[in-house]
Amino acid sequence: MTGTITPVVAEVTAIEASLFVFVVLTALATAFARDVLAAVIVFGAYSLGMAALYTFYRAPDVAMTEAAISAGVTTVLLLLTLAKTTRIDHEAAFEAVNYPAAGAAGLLFVGLAITMVDVPAVGSPDAPVWSNPDVTQWYLAETYAVTGVENTVMAVLAAFRGFDTFGEAVVVFAAGIAALIVLRREVFA
Amino acid sequence: MSDASDADAGGRDADADADTGALADAGSAEPVEPPRRSGRLDSETRQGTPYTESQVIMSTVKVVSPFAFTYGLFVTFHGGGSPGGGFQGGAIMAAVVFMIAFAFGIEATRQWLANTVVVALAVGGTLAFAAIGLIPVALGGAFLQYDLLPLPILDPVKYGMEAVEIVGIAAIVSGVLMGLFFVLARGFNGEDSGPSIGDRDSFTDEDEPDEPDDAESPEPADGVATDGGER
Repeated sequence: MTGTITPVVAEVTAIEASLFVFVVLTALATAFARDVLAAVIVFGAYSLGMAALYTFYRAPDVAMTEAAISAGVTTVLLLLTLAKTTRIDHEAAFEAVNYPAAGAAGLLFVGLAITMVDVPAVGSPDAPVWSNPDVTQWYLAETYAVTGVENTVMAVLAAFRGFDTFGEAVVVFAAGIAALIVLRREVFA
Repeated sequence: MSDASDADAGGRDADADADTGALADAGSAEPVEPPRRSGRLDSETRQGTPYTESQVIMSTVKVVSPFAFTYGLFVTFHGGGSPGGGFQGGAIMAAVVFMIAFAFGIEATRQWLANTVVVALAVGGTLAFAAIGLIPVALGGAFLQYDLLPLPILDPVKYGMEAVEIVGIAAIVSGVLMGLFFVLARGFNGEDSGPSIGDRDSFTDEDEPDEPDDAESPEPADGVATDGGER
């Protein structure tokens, strides 16, 4: 917990590479699946793959959020909403390619891919995170002494940036209120 | 609350009758309309009749849910020492309620877990977070200045943060997620939801929308409008 942490450039292992392929395939399947129920289920698999990927890149807090919220809760809420609709039987499993939309998505992908050249490698010492070690190392080294908790992520969220977290919690609360207002209900029932 | 649930029960029975009627008519009267789904992914209107009571799902949920709930509590309470925290733990605990609802029926879970509990979690969490933040302000400090919290023996910084995570964030997230689940399961076509477009996609195609048309069509007052509608 204390002391400086030296950056290590990570190499892409076979498991990570297969996870990348899995995530890309499930994302494409989500976009092209003709049946909405199939798209929702494949989207849940995509979120689970992203959660595993976050774990490999040492962001377990983000991975747990992705697995619980995106793979679990969002899938359940989307399925609940789908149960309110009628389901049309499709003979084709996949949507036909909409070429203008595919062209726009391709242009966006190319634009983002150009910026990827300048993104430093994972764990690279040139990354902006390491370019200001006085700040980043201070949080890693002093969190336990200052706050008494070992999880730096939680210390940043609950203490160093606690006011932001209060705003986020109120946003979650407001989301519940907004759902009640939109559905014209006074109770969660 | 009891009146509302009685009304709901009656409404569901009526919907169930209409459902069977619509299915019986669908083959002969309207072949154009796409076939309705069988009773998968049950929710409100179909909850009364075709809730499939699966022994596999029920016994699996019975075994898994205590462990999942304990894991949610662990993630919440141990957020200071390991990955996780109130947000993730609250989501896991709400997901346990989702599992129970899918195994034993959403309506039964809704009655078991009253609206009061859901609202108390969401509102109480928000108020607790605000109170923990405002107590140091009242004592002359800054918002969420944990070291001013009046905790006698414990470390006020550590346990103030834990209190924010456990009493505040976990309660808000679990309460709001459960509330979203129940309110989405009920949907937009409940009985007391006022004028709603949900009536149009429910199964009462044969009685409700026809009556206003029959009542209005003999009146020639708004000739243009009714002609446009009837054509």
